[in-house]
Amino acid sequence: MNSHLLSIIVAAPAIAALIVMFISERDGANSRLAIRLVSLVGAAISFAGSLVAIRTYDKALGGLQRVEDYPLIPSFGVHVKLALDGWGGPLLVLTGVILFAGVLASWTVKTRDREFFALLLVLTAGVFGVFVSQDLLVFFLFYEIAVLPMYVLIGIWGSSHKVPARGPFKFVWNIFDIGGKQYAAMKLTLMLLVGSAAIMAAIFVLFLKAGGTTFDMGVLANTKYDRQTQIIVFPLVWLGFGTLAGVFPFHTWSPDGHASAPTAVSMLHAGVLMKLGAFGVMRVGMVILPEGARYWVPVVGAVAAINVLYGAFCAMNQTDLKYIIAYSSVSHMGVVMLGAATLTTTGWNGAVFQMVAHGIMTGLFFALVGLVYERAHTRAILKMGGFANVMPGVAAFFTLGCLSSLGLPGTAGFVSEFMVFLAAWKSQHYFWAIPGVLGAFITAIYVLRATRSIFWGPGPSHDFHDLSDAKKTEWGAIVILGSCLVILGFWPRLILDYIDPGSVEYLGKVLAPVSALARLP
Amino acid sequence: MKELATLWLPLAVSALAVVALLVDLMLPVPPPGGARSKTPAPVVGWVVILGLAALFCVSFFHETNSGTAMHGAYRASYFATYLQRLFLMGGLLGALGGLDDVAKRTPHRQGEFWLMLLSSLAGMMILPGARDLLLIVVAFELMGIPLYIMAAYSKTDAEPTGAGVAPRGWASEAGLKMYLVGATSTAITLFGLALLTGMQGTTKLDLLAATPLSPLAALGLVFVLGGVGYKIGMVPFHMWVPDTYQGASTPFVAFLSVAPKAAGMSVLTSIFLFGLGAHKDVWLPPMAIIAFLSMGVGNLLALPQTDLRRLLGYSGIAQMGYVLVALAANDAMGLGMVLFFLTAYLFTNLGAFLVVHTAAEAGGGYTFASLSGLHRRSPGLALSLLMFLLSLAGIPFVIGFWAKLYVFLAAWRAGLIGLVISGIVLAVMGLFYYLRVLQAAYMTDEGDLPTPQPPPALQLAIGLCVLAVVGLGLWPRPLIEASTRAGVEMMAPLQAAQAQAAVKLTQR
Repeated sequence: MNSHLLSIIVAAPAIAALIVMFISERDGANSRLAIRLVSLVGAAISFAGSLVAIRTYDKALGGLQRVEDYPLIPSFGVHVKLALDGWGGPLLVLTGVILFAGVLASWTVKTRDREFFALLLVLTAGVFGVFVSQDLLVFFLFYEIAVLPMYVLIGIWGSSHKVPARGPFKFVWNIFDIGGKQYAAMKLTLMLLVGSAAIMAAIFVLFLKAGGTTFDMGVLANTKYDRQTQIIVFPLVWLGFGTLAGVFPFHTWSPDGHASAPTAVSMLHAGVLMKLGAFGVMRVGMVILPEGARYWVPVVGAVAAINVLYGAFCAMNQTDLKYIIAYSSVSHMGVVMLGAATLTTTGWNGAVFQMVAHGIMTGLFFALVGLVYERAHTRAILKMGGFANVMPGVAAFFTLGCLSSLGLPGTAGFVSEFMVFLAAWKSQHYFWAIPGVLGAFITAIYVLRATRSIFWGPGPSHDFHDLSDAKKTEWGAIVILGSCLVILGFWPRLILDYIDPGSVEYLGKVLAPVSALARLP
Repeated sequence: MKELATLWLPLAVSALAVVALLVDLMLPVPPPGGARSKTPAPVVGWVVILGLAALFCVSFFHETNSGTAMHGAYRASYFATYLQRLFLMGGLLGALGGLDDVAKRTPHRQGEFWLMLLSSLAGMMILPGARDLLLIVVAFELMGIPLYIMAAYSKTDAEPTGAGVAPRGWASEAGLKMYLVGATSTAITLFGLALLTGMQGTTKLDLLAATPLSPLAALGLVFVLGGVGYKIGMVPFHMWVPDTYQGASTPFVAFLSVAPKAAGMSVLTSIFLFGLGAHKDVWLPPMAIIAFLSMGVGNLLALPQTDLRRLLGYSGIAQMGYVLVALAANDAMGLGMVLFFLTAYLFTNLGAFLVVHTAAEAGGGYTFASLSGLHRRSPGLALSLLMFLLSLAGIPFVIGFWAKLYVFLAAWRAGLIGLVISGIVLAVMGLFYYLRVLQAAYMTDEGDLPTPQPPPALQLAIGLCVLAVVGLGLWPRPLIEASTRAGVEMMAPLQAAQAQAAVKLTQR
């Protein structure tokens, strides 16, 4: 059991998905319950497994632990090699939490629920796989498995909404049905797949230049690629994975996608999937291509700073609640990339911590937004007001999320933003910290404005006076995520202790040649 | 006697054709008049199916991987065995898929259809082992001519059902168009081969590269590329593909879209890699251009299609472009991946056509509307379609992903980086139209079409395809190892010889 723990974590959702597909829908309420219970059990196994994995990870030892190696196509060097590193543990737990909460939050899905849960579980199996796979090709394979179900999930269960046509390109709105769920799904899929194409080309180069015998990421990281190659390939990896991480200007799929996606899918997508992108940039791009990373880091950091500011400004201009949260994700993912671009231990710790903190926070946000939308049937914040009087629980947790989003001390958001900005200030490009902090300030404006106009102020208008607070399973999702935010805020060491050895080790690889040079007379 | 043993597999297929003919002769002839309305059982079809299945199984227990026949014109090899199995599988799946359709459309002349299928298959079986240009031409025509007849076979039928009722005689148009373009392309091939053999002084593949290529022979080579390229539907010889696919009966098209293409690829491989691999610099530029055009035109023209058969037709043109990319690599891995891709394509495309056929039979014709609500009407069928589309688009955990990945990797390794990058970009663009089909099947639910009820044989064919697409996607190792083995077997000695020649050249 123990030696196969990682495969169990990855396989449990996939197997649950398979079982769900074979549950007959004829029994009505019973089979609906069965579908949900099987999904929940699958999610719970992975969640518990990830907790066990992180508990048993030897922090002092660091490095890769629990290595499992299954040859898939040995003649071409493809192995399903799974192992846990310092970063993997916290991210596994994050995925476990979000999946568990996501299943709870989508308890009330009505149409075609069997397929919904199956796809959700398949997607998560892909995410788990990315975080633990140590073989570049398998990493990519899991990455694709995580990305593609989104198309169907948004296209079927998503929601369409009107986006007013503006600007010189008004006619485009009519051609493409902007705001429609099919449009959002297609845009998201195609943009992410263009990214995948870039990644695939990069993988070819990495594989062939390393001798063409193995995809093992450890081996590739120890291969010395020549400077020219690194400088050409790094942007491919950065923009390829970066598309999923919402790197400006390739973030445009994210607001449309998140706004159209159903609750659990937004939770998983903003909460976990966008992290895959950032994780890929750091784990594949920076660690395997250190020279390329050092060459491109000024650009990566500058673009990340733009992300933070631009995302925040865009969020300020929105009146649709989901768009606000979606743009805030773009802004917060900028913080992750900024931390990565500092190439310092503090920055990397902050970046990975921000992945976890933002994942939980966005998960909470989208769960709550879904809840509000389901009851009020609107997401226009200007129409709402005073909801706290009818749904106090939701209001409280939403406010908690907002506080974490703007980085209030005592919440998880503070820890990561503080670390990243500190690292940015101390790095060679100290001026990056300025747009970063400015972005955090603007975040405060828009999240507080949104909270106020939805929940506080005079009581709800007569359209909304009969809204109810969260119910049964919904409480489960909210409380788990909300408490994680506070716990991590007060006790960041809980996961930082695992992240740190990972960051130190990987950063050592990125910076090694520099320190060797520095030692020369 | 030894020669016969070497040729046992092609001979067995021919024998099966004779058996099928005899069985057909022994069937009672329906009396003219009233009794004709009763549909006779597809006896011959089942004979063919069982025979092909048996041959496929036996080929694993009795492999003939060495030996020559017909004075060296035919040479057995693992490469040939691999492709022969592929053709047998294609024939088997095509027969399973077409069994009930043939019985329904042409109830009283089923026997000839199966005879044609087996003749065509016999031609294919000889092709991969053929080492002489004459034998290649003869076998290629043996494969091709029955296909024209089969395309026009249901010539008196109207479209089965559907909103847009099609005019009669589409099958005739399909057959005629295919025949005219096919006959022209045969003439072009022959002309090219005449130039080639005339200048090189031999018809034997092994001796073809011995003398340097004269300009006239190089011209002949281009003609050959065009002529054979017609059969695999590569640009600019692709015009017949969408029309024929639209006009002929769809289960036959399912077969037509995979097996003859694989056979055409095997001919290209024989002539260009085995015969003229040493003169790569002559044929690589036109081949690369054609590969690029096939990928581009196929993917771009598939975008606006509204008829599913035409869409799959253009997608098939693009898929052949990917194969050509691997072929252009001209090394062991490239050849192995050509075989691997063709195998993946066989199951995927055949399955996709059969699903589309099943859905269209239930109503709505071959339009996107016929797929509307398929996920509700027939979840299994919708899921199968999903798998085939994912595989065609090259998405992980189905076999198409590995196929595309390794085709591109092989070409990249051989230095065809520009071709690979354009291929990857075009593949992503191609995703759009596969997603449109998916969208029709999974995200629309308009109108109230009946539940498709495929007959058992068709179900079996689709099931086998899904099994292969998913099973080999999760566990591609045996297939990749087999195809690589075939590639190495054929290319390793050639590459060694070419390297030696290069060394000699530098020493001089």
